[in-house]
Amino acid sequence: MLLEIKNVHKVYKGKVKANDNISLSIAEGEVFGLLGPNGAGKTTLVNQIIGLTIPTSGSITLNGVDVVANPGYARESCSFQSQTQVPISGLNTLQAIELVGRIRGGSKADVHKRAMELIEKLELGEWQKTMGITISGGVRRLVAFCMAAVTPGKIVIFDEPTNDIDPLRRRILWQEVQELAKQGAAVLLVTHNVLEAERVVDRLAIIDQGKVMGMGTTSNLKEDEGEAMHLELILEPSQTEPPLPDYLQKPVIVNRRILARVNPADITTAIEWARDLKENDAIEEFSLGPASLEDIYVRLVKNPDELELPGEVT
Amino acid sequence: MPKWLRGYLLMVKWVYLSYRAWLSLNFAVQIGIAVGMIYGISFFYPGITPEIAKYLTTGAPTLILLIVGFVVGPQIIASARLEGTFDYIWSLPVGRMSHLAADATVMFASTMPGIILAVVLGAIHFDFSLDISPLIIPAVIMIGAGGTFLGYSIAFLVPKPMMVMVITQIFSFAVMLFSPVMFPAERLPGWLQSIHHVLPIKYMADLSRGTITDLDVNLGLAFAVVGAWCVVGFIITLIVVNRRQ
Repeated sequence: MLLEIKNVHKVYKGKVKANDNISLSIAEGEVFGLLGPNGAGKTTLVNQIIGLTIPTSGSITLNGVDVVANPGYARESCSFQSQTQVPISGLNTLQAIELVGRIRGGSKADVHKRAMELIEKLELGEWQKTMGITISGGVRRLVAFCMAAVTPGKIVIFDEPTNDIDPLRRRILWQEVQELAKQGAAVLLVTHNVLEAERVVDRLAIIDQGKVMGMGTTSNLKEDEGEAMHLELILEPSQTEPPLPDYLQKPVIVNRRILARVNPADITTAIEWARDLKENDAIEEFSLGPASLEDIYVRLVKNPDELELPGEVT
Repeated sequence: MPKWLRGYLLMVKWVYLSYRAWLSLNFAVQIGIAVGMIYGISFFYPGITPEIAKYLTTGAPTLILLIVGFVVGPQIIASARLEGTFDYIWSLPVGRMSHLAADATVMFASTMPGIILAVVLGAIHFDFSLDISPLIIPAVIMIGAGGTFLGYSIAFLVPKPMMVMVITQIFSFAVMLFSPVMFPAERLPGWLQSIHHVLPIKYMADLSRGTITDLDVNLGLAFAVVGAWCVVGFIITLIVVNRRQ
């Protein structure tokens, strides 16, 4: 494995436990998702991988090199898109992408070619000569994505890369993420956007309150659900949650959504119950199907506060 | 080209492009201050003698370099810390000290026209001659570096960026009014003179005086004291900047 994280604990001053015994590994050519709600400890873990902070205990090795002791090696090996906006106010889009590509060791000609390719793919041409200070948050994030992808390291880390980005460009961005992995980079994708992550990642870890709650391929994680189906209800905006029947297992209520497991024997009854609610205008809609990654996520995470309603998902 | 040099030069370009708008303004302000300082002194001291004018004018480079290194630099760093800039910059494969060196290089380069103009205008206006020594180059680098090391250490050691602003403002006040940069040390009370025998500020002023005029200063002592402070400042900055939580 290219990246090996073993038993990492990170406790900040004031005894805030940000990472609690995290172990995971990522291979070359793999897209690995790190999913979890805000404050779960995802960015803390990334900061330790790239050598910005050090673990309280545990080890992180990259290609066999201890990056806690050799932060310079981590910087050489990891290209990184930060969750916060990049400081490019005084640079134009092309300058910012090319300069980082050169700083990461790329030759002038290669970096220019690759920068233009990314600008074209992500349709950033109209902002190519625009100063960072005047471009929108979404475009700035795309520029930050290009800065991480222009001269990729052995590991490419994207921390919430699709925030503020329009649906069409998100799709192109995900293709580019998969392309980077095909070319041999290990991609670490940090996100709380479960639906998008499901389509892109090869393996993932769900973390909450600093702990790994589940890890594996999407199929591995769904195996625990057995033959149970998942019922999802969306409440009408003005409605409160109805009393839930006993056959709904492990129900979770997030904003206007109710998610629950239903055993095969109870499926007919559950559908009738949901239909009644719909006819009485208590719910907007309902659906029943096999477990999705989102169902697993909701069950594993204590406060899945960022889950989007279907209409908001792009 | 060695990797560190390539990284440093590319960071100089990054910093230059990032600060371009501010640098143009800074350049204009520096020129304005230089001209204003020389002509303003005449209003402040109507009967100023060439000897006093020479003292004031030759103190100006030290004053400007210290203010930039210890006040402007840390304030830029404090703003950058508030904006989270370092989380990104420090993830790039360039040493943290190389980045700070690039930052300081651009800042000091932008002050040079103002410093040169102040000295040349002063010499013409107050009618004294300059005696420029090649030692001016290491002298300017050491004055700039000394102030910058101290300023950067404070900028990274003080937890609250707003406190950095307050501390650096107090420092600029102390350098202008209570340090023998623009006037001889003998005018200060004895206890303050004793402090300035240890601090590098007086010796920094001696370096600029001794390398651009024929004023009688102990250059060897000045280089030794400022050099020692630079080494101490470099070590402190190295430790502070490379600290990881």
